[in-house]
Amino acid sequence: MSAYVGNIVDSVTSIFDGMAVTFSHFFRRPYTVQYPDRMPVRVQDALPYRYRGFLEVDLEICTGCLACERACPIDCIAIDVLKNKETKQNLLVRFDIDLAKCMYCGLCSEPCPTGSIHHTREFEGADYSLESMVRRFVLDPVETYKPKKSGEDDPAIVPILERGMRYVNEFAVPEAPPKPPKKDAAPAVKPAVGAAAAEGQP
Amino acid sequence: MSLELEFDDGREVFATEEMTLNMGPQHPSTHGVLRFIIRADGEVMRSAKADVGYLHRSIEKIAEKVGWHGFMPYTDRVDYVAAMTTNQAWAIAAEALGGVTVPRRGEYCRVIAAELGRICSHLLAAGAMGMDIGAITPFTHAVRERELINDLLEELCGARLTFNYMRIGGVAWDLPPGFDAKVLRFLNHFEPYVDELDDLLSNNKIYIERLANVAVVSRERAIAYCLVGPNLRASGVRYDIRKHLPYSVYPEFDFEVPIGTGRHGSVGDCWDRYIVRLDEMRQSARILRQALEGLPEGPVIAKVPRNYKPAAGEVHVHVETPRGDQSWYVVADGTEYPYRVHIRTGSFAAMSIIEELSRGLMVADLVALIASFDIVAPEVDR
Repeated sequence: MSAYVGNIVDSVTSIFDGMAVTFSHFFRRPYTVQYPDRMPVRVQDALPYRYRGFLEVDLEICTGCLACERACPIDCIAIDVLKNKETKQNLLVRFDIDLAKCMYCGLCSEPCPTGSIHHTREFEGADYSLESMVRRFVLDPVETYKPKKSGEDDPAIVPILERGMRYVNEFAVPEAPPKPPKKDAAPAVKPAVGAAAAEGQP
Repeated sequence: MSLELEFDDGREVFATEEMTLNMGPQHPSTHGVLRFIIRADGEVMRSAKADVGYLHRSIEKIAEKVGWHGFMPYTDRVDYVAAMTTNQAWAIAAEALGGVTVPRRGEYCRVIAAELGRICSHLLAAGAMGMDIGAITPFTHAVRERELINDLLEELCGARLTFNYMRIGGVAWDLPPGFDAKVLRFLNHFEPYVDELDDLLSNNKIYIERLANVAVVSRERAIAYCLVGPNLRASGVRYDIRKHLPYSVYPEFDFEVPIGTGRHGSVGDCWDRYIVRLDEMRQSARILRQALEGLPEGPVIAKVPRNYKPAAGEVHVHVETPRGDQSWYVVADGTEYPYRVHIRTGSFAAMSIIEELSRGLMVADLVALIASFDIVAPEVDR
């Protein structure tokens, strides 16, 4: 009999314990996150810098080294590079990324020497057909970017390269060679670009 | 149970017969695409046979085609609730084959990420368990906390579920500036919350009545069925890979391995399996605090060639994931692709014991049983 009453008392008190927790939430700051269209900023801008959204390519600084194509485990990147025999300049004729296939792993943007291929914070890509998910970045063949020994000075490219290098620098630097000492952006950029691009040239 | 009442001419009055029920593959209370073929007599089950394979994506075979670096994103998909530990397992296996040493800061980053992932997974397990029993509120509370961790991990690696954070040789990104302060702030908020979950759910009399003494797994049976992780520890076996087959920098941390005590019933019942996960969250928080305090400086990733070709050989690594000992058997033949990858996961072992435990249980208890084992469907099939 006492166990029976004890059980009832136990049930009632434990329910009130739980209710006390629920009740205390009336006086706490709510966790509610508003719908994206009610937020003061665009939801894309509220995402962290490393967010892996749609891939984007800055053709101005693409060296055509194919490192991203090789790194992609599912071959969703297709790049065609032609060599112009007269000017010895590489010509980028195709740079397609199939965003429907892409799994947003970030393996392609990691080896990019200039940060040309990078993840944006865009993620809304609903569409009616799969074909429209293939992003074709090269509309007219463009020459690949050749890093300059003395650092970049073309005012049209400098900001793009700076953005790219900021993206690349976000990735961890391997143990050896040791981290280069902090200098201003331009000299630190130069060796990385030169080395990787030389490796990528056919 | 049929009643032995007969008409005069010998016909049974209450002829009951066994019913075959299908639970799943699409069922709201099985976690993912699981199917059980239940033979039930009224409310009492004769057996619940697990039918696995609905989420088979041949991940092990994919490994043989995408190479060492390229397989990392796929490991996220093995166990999508706790992708960090699976990442770590693959990285450790590949490093062991190639003889790569991970820098100390890289190991610490891994531990921080993995423990955050563990809390994340256990929160979902505890919350979903409450929801399967019928307590909806704790689930929203648990998912709210999980959201905070997801935000942290998103800042760390840019994704909320399929992290792809670790690389062979270390991790891809260093901790972002101010990350340790954010994790500390989260821990200060989170540790009292676990006690709150006790009040809200664990000590609730109805909840205890539903779980205590249900589907008791004895110590011997747990070992015989190769249960691992929290399911094994709930049966009173103190076995944790982090403690007993240490990897990474876990020996440097001071933490305990909680085991089931049978506080409200017998050792190894559903309630024990639940409470062990709650205790583990507290221990993970302890590890996180120590890791943040002792975080060394330096690089986070070793120099590993892009065209990674470990020497021929084989390796068998064990990693403690939230669902227990996940062991990876990897064979390399000296090329840029693994020769064979085999993953042994904790959920698969847990699935095998359900048929035996379900005998004589109520149909409604099967849901509690599945939830208490914290089975994640993609981990069963891979």
